[in-house]
Amino acid sequence: MTRRTSLTPYLFLTPALLVIAVFTLYPIISVVYYSFTDYSIVTPPEWIGLRNYQQLMKDPVFWLALKHSFTYLLVTPTLIILCMILAIVVNRKLPGINLFRALYYIPVICGTIAVGIAWRMMLDTNGALNGLLLSMGILKEPVQWLAEPSYTLTIVMMLTIWLGLGYYMMIFLAGLQNIPEELYDAALIDGCNSWQKHWYVSVPGLRPQITFVAVISSLAALQVFNEVYILTGELGGILNSAVTIVFYMWRQAFRLHHAGMGSAVAMVLLIITLAFSIMNIRMLERGTEAQ
Amino acid sequence: MRTKMFALFVLASILLSSCATATPSTQPETIIETVVVESTKLVEVEKTVPVEIEVLVTPTPGPNPEVVIEGVEPGAEITLWTFWLSPTFDEYIKSTIARFEETYPGVKVNWEDHQATFQDDLRNAFAAGNAPDVINLSVGEGWVSDYATQGLLLNLDDAVPQNVKDLYYPGLWQSQMVDGKNYQFPWYQGVAVELINTQLYQGTPEIDAEGKITGYAGGAGLKVEDFPKTVDGLPDLCKTIKEKTGTLCDIRLTVNDLLSQMVYEGNVKVMSDDGKQFTFDSPEAVEWLQMYVDMVKDGTVDKTVLVTTNDRVGLDLFTSGQAAFYQTGPNLIREVRANNPALYGYLAAVPAPVGKSGVLGKGLMGISVKGDTSYPNASIALAQFFTNPKSMLDFSKIVAIYPSTPASYEDPFFSTPSVAIEDSAKPIAKDIVSKYADIVPTIPNKADVNQIVLDAVQQALFNNVPAQQALSDAVAQANALLGQ
Amino acid sequence: MELTKSKPSSAIKQARVRGRTLETIFWYTVLCLIAVITVFPFIWVLSTSLKGPNDVIYSVPPQLFPNDPTIDNYRRVWQQLPMANFFTNSILVAAATVTLNLLFCSLAAYPFAKMQFRGKDLIFYLLLATFIVPPQLTYIPGFVLAVNVFHYYDTIFALIFPSLATVFNIFLMRQAFKTVPDELIDAGRIDGASELRIWWSILMPIVRPSLATIAIITFVSTWNDFLWPSLMLHTRERMTLPVGLANLQGMFTSDQRGIAAGVVMTIIPILIVFVLLQRQFVRGLSGAVKG
Repeated sequence: MTRRTSLTPYLFLTPALLVIAVFTLYPIISVVYYSFTDYSIVTPPEWIGLRNYQQLMKDPVFWLALKHSFTYLLVTPTLIILCMILAIVVNRKLPGINLFRALYYIPVICGTIAVGIAWRMMLDTNGALNGLLLSMGILKEPVQWLAEPSYTLTIVMMLTIWLGLGYYMMIFLAGLQNIPEELYDAALIDGCNSWQKHWYVSVPGLRPQITFVAVISSLAALQVFNEVYILTGELGGILNSAVTIVFYMWRQAFRLHHAGMGSAVAMVLLIITLAFSIMNIRMLERGTEAQ
Repeated sequence: MRTKMFALFVLASILLSSCATATPSTQPETIIETVVVESTKLVEVEKTVPVEIEVLVTPTPGPNPEVVIEGVEPGAEITLWTFWLSPTFDEYIKSTIARFEETYPGVKVNWEDHQATFQDDLRNAFAAGNAPDVINLSVGEGWVSDYATQGLLLNLDDAVPQNVKDLYYPGLWQSQMVDGKNYQFPWYQGVAVELINTQLYQGTPEIDAEGKITGYAGGAGLKVEDFPKTVDGLPDLCKTIKEKTGTLCDIRLTVNDLLSQMVYEGNVKVMSDDGKQFTFDSPEAVEWLQMYVDMVKDGTVDKTVLVTTNDRVGLDLFTSGQAAFYQTGPNLIREVRANNPALYGYLAAVPAPVGKSGVLGKGLMGISVKGDTSYPNASIALAQFFTNPKSMLDFSKIVAIYPSTPASYEDPFFSTPSVAIEDSAKPIAKDIVSKYADIVPTIPNKADVNQIVLDAVQQALFNNVPAQQALSDAVAQANALLGQ
Repeated sequence: MELTKSKPSSAIKQARVRGRTLETIFWYTVLCLIAVITVFPFIWVLSTSLKGPNDVIYSVPPQLFPNDPTIDNYRRVWQQLPMANFFTNSILVAAATVTLNLLFCSLAAYPFAKMQFRGKDLIFYLLLATFIVPPQLTYIPGFVLAVNVFHYYDTIFALIFPSLATVFNIFLMRQAFKTVPDELIDAGRIDGASELRIWWSILMPIVRPSLATIAIITFVSTWNDFLWPSLMLHTRERMTLPVGLANLQGMFTSDQRGIAAGVVMTIIPILIVFVLLQRQFVRGLSGAVKG
């Protein structure tokens, strides 16, 4: 690499840096500022110091939102395990296997909203799910799935998992196809059966993919909004049973018109994401070291 | 000037009598279809509006009798936003605007209709500084006081002459007031009816060989006329329906304005007179909440509908034939008919039950004017035009909504009977609308307080928190907000 | 498992074939089961969309095949909602975002990968810091910017501009560029080519697979983006697909068949595109993780 004292590097950087400065850096600074104000967007912001944060700490719904967001992280290990298994299942040369792979990927391309609407139709009190379970005798009475506070978060999480299946499956699949056959043969020689060979060869071989999926899906879990909105509407579930941090922030800023409070929540989200990212970077470093 | 008016008056009477439609005759106009839009296109010569108001548009040069606002700015261009009226009522709105532009020449009106995102759009428009001049706001949902308390609307009590104010029912004019001042022209009103699915409520009639009805089967066996007249009759009704038909009650709390529902249904005093304390944990409030708690405990209501933010969910449940009754306005019967024609034949309608307050209801829609509009007189004129007796009468003729001006009810349209179920409220509409009153005080920080109440109500309904405790905690939280 | 390669007798051969056939059947069953789970909601939506007004949606057991199929629901939704606009808007936004974003980010990645300059580390760590910021945090100030400063509220520019550069993509491109051998670049420099020329003619062609990958990831995330577009777009003709769909659900709550028709209309085109570009998708995704 030659040392350049010219402007060239900066010229290359300028377009992207400009965009990031305007749309990421400036907003961060604004959010920090807004979090100390009472701001309804329609009227100018009014400085109130730490009051937003104080109110936030006292709001039981906020703590509930935090709890739900952390619970949501459970989708990450679920996705990793399920998608790995799924990738292993589809990683065989059966005729028409590509059709199956494509079928599993369909929810991803259809998007959260379309899938969410389909789910909502099925989960209706008089929807297909109840109809199915009633006709099979599993249920005696229709269950109001989305009206049971204890089920709501689980259902929303399941939607996320369902949506992620195809996406992460493809990633693991690609990873599997990069593992050299010889390693499997060696394992077989060493006396592994088909289950063990996956444990000793596939799983370690998929390490970069596992890390990738872990990072991406955990960050996404912390930032969930779409699934909650499409399944529970603006209510966030009965008793706020599906309210996540971003949902809470959205409600504060865009429904209750407290952009200041919303900004305070955004700051909390930032700190949590920061902590997570540091953890993830450490994991990444450790992962690449091992390789 | 006066003699000219008198001459016009005489001319008008002659014209009217010669047309022979002005006399309240006993022509039974059976209106089966409620969609007759053509009438709004007619030139106003054939008038059926009582002659107290001069609403003739004469081709001869002279002051237009529909002009009631003076000083309309020449060359004004104003924007009108309506709420969820397109595309069904495109013709009506456009023709009314056309008539307005003839009445007040030189004013141009740009019309936009907004639907589910109306509130968002409006707030953003205010934030961006390009809010519409004339805005159709929901009085029923409390939007008028929301915007008025932020100083975004024009004070109509001060800006509108008394003779114009007198055109409206006082109960409707004095709605959603802030600091004793009114910010809306009352527009079209609804009459809450209870739509009944007679198949579920009564049952399918069993007809004997002679064609006589011997009984009803498969339903709850109740009589339509026995539908509860008061709200506290609902829990028992729901129990009976659940027992006999297995279906759940389709009842919806107004989750966006729970305090208002408390006031009307439970006769609860939600705030102290000095406006410094919330008081919605009183025994009346607890009693009101307990009624719903009991219904949830008995498993007689559909929980999703009870707390949904989207009122169409409740309508949907009824339309699908899964509920015995649903409270709505007759104007939404057209939705039921469109989505489930089979059900339409089994519908009955009775007046909705009254709450403990004894007040039947409050206004539905109003039209307000932006506070900092560049054309206040033109905007007031447009708002008044849409809400004047003739415009509202025309609207009533195409859909089952009701005017807020007493003059409109003099028209024979309201006294002629009609068979369609959409029009079942027509004969009693005047009586009901004239009694509407806004008995809810202005609530500061309304959105936040409502959220607090909503959370508390859910705790009581679904989390076994005793109603008194839930409400008292909510009052404490709400009072803390006031203290800032 | 027979590892010794002795000549199998015909009986063993037959057993092996039978075993393999059983295994094949087993796997196909598993695959089909998973496919049913993945695809059922869409089948249900499709079926609902074809049902006439007298065809029951709520029944025990749920009725999958319409008795009286009709395309009326599609006609009704098409008339009442600008579905075509939803599509074109989504396509415009996605195409513009992907193209410009790739351009800006790969321009910015070059100096980080292959040049030295003052402040390189500082800027790099600054960018790393912004990576941690959850996008939702920028929505509140972004909203204010859109309404008060740039005045592109309710236009597709509101969706494109903030996404013109993402730190994630800069990092990915940087990784990709790093794999290009320095000799090629030095050769270019010796030949007197400008940096821009080197970037365009030497680097970009080599990293084309990475570009494809990033393009796909960016496309999918832009296509399915919901929260920000829903905050920005309110005129129905300007909405993108997810926002339009959610709007559809709000408008047509009483009309399950209409909603279903709307959902199907939005899914079919994407499915077609996906089926055609299936192979590129998979290849693209596999590249994402390796780099």
